[in-house]
Amino acid sequence: MSILANRDTRAVIIGGVAGVNAARRMAQFDFLVNRPLTVRAFVYPPEEGQQKEIYRGGELNNVTVYSSLGKALEENPEINTVLIYIGASRAYQSAKEALDAKGIKLVTMITEGVPEKDAKRLRKHALETGKIFNGPSSIGIMSAGECRLGVIGGEYKNLKLCNLYRPGSFGVITKSGGLSNEAMWLCAQNGDGITSAVAIGGDSYPGTDFVTYLNMFENDPDTKAVVIVGEVGGTLEEEAAEWLSQEIRRIKVIASIGGTCQDVLPQGMKFGHAGAKEGKKGLGSARSKINALRAAGAVVPDTFGGLSKAIKQVYQELLKSGAIKPEAELDEKLLPALPPSVQEVMKQGDVIVEPLIRTTISDDRGEEPRYVGYSASELCEKGYGIEDVIGLLWNKKLPSKEESEIIKRIIMISADHGPAVSGAFGAIIAACAGIDLPQAVSAGMTMIGPRFGGAVTNAGKYFKYGVKEYPNDIPGFLNWMKQNVGPVPGIGHRVKSLKNPDKRVKYLVEYVKGQTTLHTPCLDYALQVEKITTSKKDNLILNVDGTIGCILVDLDFPEYSLNGFFVLARTIGMIGHWIDQNNQNSRLIRLYDYLINYAVKEERVVPDKR
Amino acid sequence: MAKILEGPAMKLFNKWGIPVPNYVVIMDPDRLAQLGEANKWLRESKLVVKAHEAIGGRYKLGLVKLGLNLEGAVEAAKEMIGREIGTSVVHQVIVAEMLDHDEEYYLSIAGNRDGSELLFSNKGGVDIEDNWDTVKRIFIPLDMTPSIEQITEAALEAGFIGEVAERVAKIASRLILCFDNEDAQSIEINPLVIRKSDMRFAALDAVMNVDWDARFRHPDWDFKPVSEIGRSYTEAEQQIMDIDARIKGSVKLVEVPGGNIALLTAGGGASVFYSDAVVARGGSIANYAEYSGDPPDWAVEALTETICRLPNIKHIIVGGAIANFTDVKATFSGIINGFRESKSKGYLENVKIWVRRGGPNENQGLAAMKLLQEEGFDIHVYDRSMPMTDIVDLALNA
Repeated sequence: MSILANRDTRAVIIGGVAGVNAARRMAQFDFLVNRPLTVRAFVYPPEEGQQKEIYRGGELNNVTVYSSLGKALEENPEINTVLIYIGASRAYQSAKEALDAKGIKLVTMITEGVPEKDAKRLRKHALETGKIFNGPSSIGIMSAGECRLGVIGGEYKNLKLCNLYRPGSFGVITKSGGLSNEAMWLCAQNGDGITSAVAIGGDSYPGTDFVTYLNMFENDPDTKAVVIVGEVGGTLEEEAAEWLSQEIRRIKVIASIGGTCQDVLPQGMKFGHAGAKEGKKGLGSARSKINALRAAGAVVPDTFGGLSKAIKQVYQELLKSGAIKPEAELDEKLLPALPPSVQEVMKQGDVIVEPLIRTTISDDRGEEPRYVGYSASELCEKGYGIEDVIGLLWNKKLPSKEESEIIKRIIMISADHGPAVSGAFGAIIAACAGIDLPQAVSAGMTMIGPRFGGAVTNAGKYFKYGVKEYPNDIPGFLNWMKQNVGPVPGIGHRVKSLKNPDKRVKYLVEYVKGQTTLHTPCLDYALQVEKITTSKKDNLILNVDGTIGCILVDLDFPEYSLNGFFVLARTIGMIGHWIDQNNQNSRLIRLYDYLINYAVKEERVVPDKR
Repeated sequence: MAKILEGPAMKLFNKWGIPVPNYVVIMDPDRLAQLGEANKWLRESKLVVKAHEAIGGRYKLGLVKLGLNLEGAVEAAKEMIGREIGTSVVHQVIVAEMLDHDEEYYLSIAGNRDGSELLFSNKGGVDIEDNWDTVKRIFIPLDMTPSIEQITEAALEAGFIGEVAERVAKIASRLILCFDNEDAQSIEINPLVIRKSDMRFAALDAVMNVDWDARFRHPDWDFKPVSEIGRSYTEAEQQIMDIDARIKGSVKLVEVPGGNIALLTAGGGASVFYSDAVVARGGSIANYAEYSGDPPDWAVEALTETICRLPNIKHIIVGGAIANFTDVKATFSGIINGFRESKSKGYLENVKIWVRRGGPNENQGLAAMKLLQEEGFDIHVYDRSMPMTDIVDLALNA
């Protein structure tokens, strides 16, 4: 048996992330004692409609977040308990609504810093509605073997250590949250554990008091003794003493009261809890509480450390009198272990997980990124440049100085080609439409394809094919291309020709062949091809795509990576265009009608729909 | 609980129609002279000058001067501003009109669990304690307001007569309004004075506590609560308070000069029991400290360093219950860093450290703490099987 919370308890948590964390802890307990999930719903308007993932052992539950308590209760009529995890400024309204809700019997609030007046009103409202309002500042309520409300009891391991998987004979009522856990541990270590433990919170005016719960424990036949942990301030402990002395009580009371040190501390000093404050003329002092409780027959040790002995002594007496039957110790090994996460099991080496992806180029798990094993900062330190990072990430090789210089030139030459071309124009239109940088640049990027900039890869690919399959046989190659591919990628230009050569091509070819020692079979082959094609038609020159493609093949980049150079280079240009349009605060672009040939039907009447 | 100074209390009284004397709060005596040129009452009334600080026993310390003219008030202000009393410095004085009056009354209101209690007596002033049996009490249930008639009746019973009773009742009803609407916890007016010639009332002195947790609904609260420990906060205390205001969870510190056992304890409840255990065993604490609610490790580290710097300490009690959700490993790593840092600065010499703790990641936390032995710390580490406050017994028997 238990008080307040049991196997029939079903809860809704009002609040955000702290509430979800509490629900996860509560589900661990649900798993331990093999009961259905306690938390059935959340109420948190900013996350309405979301579902929170809550594991009960290995079972994944999706718990819905509602915008109001009313909606949560409508869809989950089994809920009888509300946990309040919301901020102090909204706690009162939430709790009041909860107390007014049909079917709700218990409202417990963890929120700290709730104004006193709000707490007083909630206490009064609970009394009027005949419901229990526990808190504010309560860590929660625990009924061993039955139900956990809040994070009371701490981590999973502690739940077992404190025997919380099965009921014992001790009740626990504390103001402090931390000490509720300590008291449960003491009852497990020195007795047979608890029935229920309640933290009432350390505020000045808690919604409930020791007497409320002493009465409940007195009426719970399984509870044989109650441990009270109180402290200086207020009169709740005195009232408990009065309750105890009123008539012969079935339950034994053991108590520890904090705050006897008050005499030597600065007057009016604030302890950890708002309510821990001595009144005028010693009213509510720890000493007066201890005296009252002792006079009423409670066992009150000198220090908190003395509680162990006191609990043990009471337990022995209860065993001797036969009030408690010694229970066979449960083998802890029979208790379920919390399923570990994949990461935890992998650490132990007990499971094999097939990786979802594989990478061979970079690793960011250490203190800094490493590119194919080299740390980024060391590359910087040793004078490597962006071309070397390209070499590493695209081809897993560190280029030589000469090779780097070529890569650098290819990118420089290809970085931009004015606003008129498809890519830049696309980026500019987007920029003028107020689109942000990444999206505007990718609008330009989408232009890269068979007709714009996308020829580098294919040029490299087919010239490489020619070198391999048709060495010294250019006509054979051209013939094969004609039959299988069509026009040779990398050959031909709309405006440039033999008479009007492309300066970039000229420069690149001269640079690579004149100033580097790079072996250039592919480029040489393409230049041979150009000789033949230009003899047929003046503008069938080796264009810049073809030149770059061949040089990159000669640099040993994989052929399918070659378009990457154009994409990378043009990104620089497109970002430039986007910034440029923004700097000018350009207006939205709309085509003038005179730039459009409206080859449309004459205006006519819409026929009736048949 | 937050005590506020007389100036802000007077301002709130004004807001709710409780009569107050003319007053000004100043930091600069010259400003008072200037204000004198602008305000007739400063030139023509007898004045009282009081240090506007949270300092107990101001009268005996010469921080209250009565019956002054403007010149005298400027002199008194000059004398008081800048004076150091213990750890406190007088920064401000409040200069108020000393109302010639015929009688002094007592009027107060304080909250309790079920509402509040209004107290009044027609024998107010310094002797109120001796006249406590003349105090008439009215219980005001939560969210109820007694009628003027009810209060007047009670005032009559308390010995007020005729029109005075009616006027006192009216002031009391405004006091109730002020109490309710300003989230006050207690307001004490002593004395409430009356000058019968023109039936003028004024609250000459006021002690007011407001609920600082309610400040979110009082945007016009432009004041800060004053130190509640009968003295100004020390620099270290102020530092920890500033951290406390910024973090999730909390860290707290109060210094207790003269003690030699330092507390670095966790939890609002447990920390008090550790203080108690030291006192019960005849020891003397050097501080009260508490961290709770899973505070960030750097905040605990700062608290640790502050505590290590306390003078003349022989023991540090790193105590705590079995935490519900405060991560022992994380908070202990803050404490360990604090210890190391302090030791490197020459603190912790001949200081014994006693540790007892449980909670999430307790094994890792305690093991890390135990490793400090190898770095030459005189540290004794116990787990949950050690009764919570028994490390205090061990320390005092060492």
